[in-house]
Amino acid sequence: MANVDFRTVVKSFGTFTALHGLDLSIKSGEFVALLGPSGCGKTTTLRMLAGLEFPTSGDIIIGDRRVNDLPPGERDIAMVFQSYALYPHMTVAENIAYPLKKRGVPKAERGPMVAKTAEMLHLTALLDRKPKQLSGGQQQRVALGRALIRDPKVFLLDEPLSNLDAKLRSQLRAELIELHRRLGRTMVYVTHDQLEAMTMADRIAIMEGGNLQQFAPPAEVYARPANRFVAGFIGTPGMTLMDGMLVQSGNGWAFETEGLRLRLPRLIDSAKPGAAAFGIRPEDVHLGSGDLTGEVVLTEATGHETIVTVAIAPGVRVIARIPGTPALRIGDRVPVTLDAARAHVFAAGPQGARLNHPSGTADADEAFNIATPLRVASKGVLS
Amino acid sequence: MTTLTQTPLERRYARLGLLLIAPTVLIFCAVIIYPLVSALYLSLFKVFTPTLESSWVGLANYRELLASGMFWSALVNTLVWTAGTLTLQIVLGIGMALVLHQNIWFRSLARSLILFPYFISTVVAVLVWKWVFNDLYGILNHLLMQAGITNMPVDYLGSMPNAMISVILVGAWKYFPFVVIAVLARLQTIPEPLYEAARIDGAGPIARFFDVTLPQLRDVLVVIIMLRAIWDFKEFDLIWLLTGGGPSSSTETLPIVVYRQAFALNQMGMAAAWAVSMMAILLVFMIVYIRKTRDKGAV
Ligand SMILES: Nc1ncnc2c1ncn2[C@@H]1O[C@H](COP(=O)(O)OP(=O)(O)OP(=O)(O)O)[C@@H](O)[C@H]1O
Ligand SMILES: [Mg+2]
Repeated sequence: MANVDFRTVVKSFGTFTALHGLDLSIKSGEFVALLGPSGCGKTTTLRMLAGLEFPTSGDIIIGDRRVNDLPPGERDIAMVFQSYALYPHMTVAENIAYPLKKRGVPKAERGPMVAKTAEMLHLTALLDRKPKQLSGGQQQRVALGRALIRDPKVFLLDEPLSNLDAKLRSQLRAELIELHRRLGRTMVYVTHDQLEAMTMADRIAIMEGGNLQQFAPPAEVYARPANRFVAGFIGTPGMTLMDGMLVQSGNGWAFETEGLRLRLPRLIDSAKPGAAAFGIRPEDVHLGSGDLTGEVVLTEATGHETIVTVAIAPGVRVIARIPGTPALRIGDRVPVTLDAARAHVFAAGPQGARLNHPSGTADADEAFNIATPLRVASKGVLS
Repeated sequence: MTTLTQTPLERRYARLGLLLIAPTVLIFCAVIIYPLVSALYLSLFKVFTPTLESSWVGLANYRELLASGMFWSALVNTLVWTAGTLTLQIVLGIGMALVLHQNIWFRSLARSLILFPYFISTVVAVLVWKWVFNDLYGILNHLLMQAGITNMPVDYLGSMPNAMISVILVGAWKYFPFVVIAVLARLQTIPEPLYEAARIDGAGPIARFFDVTLPQLRDVLVVIIMLRAIWDFKEFDLIWLLTGGGPSSSTETLPIVVYRQAFALNQMGMAAAWAVSMMAILLVFMIVYIRKTRDKGAV
């Protein structure tokens, strides 16, 4: 078991900089997901931790050791590749035993260890097969077995489930969670699937364009996205985000856009009037009552809930998540409430920082001792 | 059974298939079966090459051939030459392919240059090598003497075992590019994650070669070795031009004997008997080759 530290790690490929000074502190035994869109630098981060890629500057620490100059074999890590990378000419048993063999574990000791690992991963019946004779899920388990058998300090997994079908994926997800709980090892898990990150990780590191955007537990990432990018990236369907102006109104704040004026509570002290973005999650948009009126543009029923897109002003659409299948038709006009106490405000720009405290957090209540029952006021300029 | 259940459409396809394959079969018969059969036939006669005057001798040619020590010494020469040059070709070929697979700056230039020996005509190559090896004014002797490694010119082609070694070396030089190209093509398809997984598993460069590279090269090496073994076994021009089989008959391989019998000793029938014997030995190679490639197709 070991903690993992990235200290202002920069990685450039020629003139292209893939990582701009990454700082990341992973605690011992923690399950951390690296999440972000394609090309954001997740794999690069993981490969540097594995020693397959070397940082241009900065330090990488595993345990209390700076590993920058250690080759992969000496870092006491194990990695599971997206392509599994099983040795095709070796049997399952030989594949799993390989790391032991290369570390000089005597043959007599390897046998029982392979048997134990195989049993844990339900591979016992497949030990004599070659990788080609296995299904994708079985190959994935063999790759896991090869990583597990050595009992390394840190497990690295690069999108290990992305080549599997949905059902197998959720099954292996559960198995991985269980495995982590049982072994208590540090795990770094790369994925672009937010469901995987949200369900498995203790903390999620969200990356974009080679920068760490937020590093926090799943619930916090969801409830309190640190900036506009995280807000838009986490959650399906995504948060409705609109651009507009932050203005001072009386002794409070309001957000104005396209003929819409929304009163805002709980802004941070450093908030300044000017361009800003307003965000609201679909579950915080309520239909059926409220000061706003909207026109139903689209309904998507999934059975247990319905995603409704409503136009509340010309060019302003919000997405609402309604339980069940409400009797709404396209073109219907419905009253709309935006639960502004649960809204999010960000500075302008694609990675604009968060400007308000969300409800229910400690410092929010500290900063704003006014439990304003906020309904959104409209100027009534609807279509 | 299957013919009974054939639909009319299947029968039509079958007929079309026959029609399409017929030209190939005819050409195959004309250029392979016919010479083969006529060689077999010829080997049963005593033929005087200039006049092609012939008389039936049955298996006498074979009896004479097997009884003479020449056949066995030629066979040994052939095997020594084949094993020696083939081993060098494979080792050099794999080594060079591994080097060219690295990201070296002159890679693409080197990849083209490496083909040079394979492309140049044997006659030209041999002429150049004869100059290099020449005991009086060859560059090799000149350099060796200047460096003080030898103080007498070495006779590379006119004494043994030098002649055999020289022939083997030139053969390896001439044909290793074939191995390089075939191995390089395969190397480029080995997935990089395999090497990365091996590095993480604690395998050093040598272990990675034996545990990742070599197993992946296995199939292509089987094909290369079989093909090159057959081609080297029947190599004629390179040896003939370099040593003519000499000194005395110490580099005389089977193809050279065949040539000698037919055109120096004017014994066309005897030459055919030699050629047929050689083919029988090659048949062993071919059967191994076919079995290896067929096994692979079946898996
Ligand atoms: N060897 C390389 N040479 C040049 N650029 C590279 C190299 N490896 C990665 N990059 C670049 O670095 C950036 C980050 O790549 P990385 O593989 O880490 O992305 P990722 O977050 O893993 O994306 P994905 O979800 O698609 O796997 C990309 O823009 C990529 O093009
Ligand atoms: Mg990746």
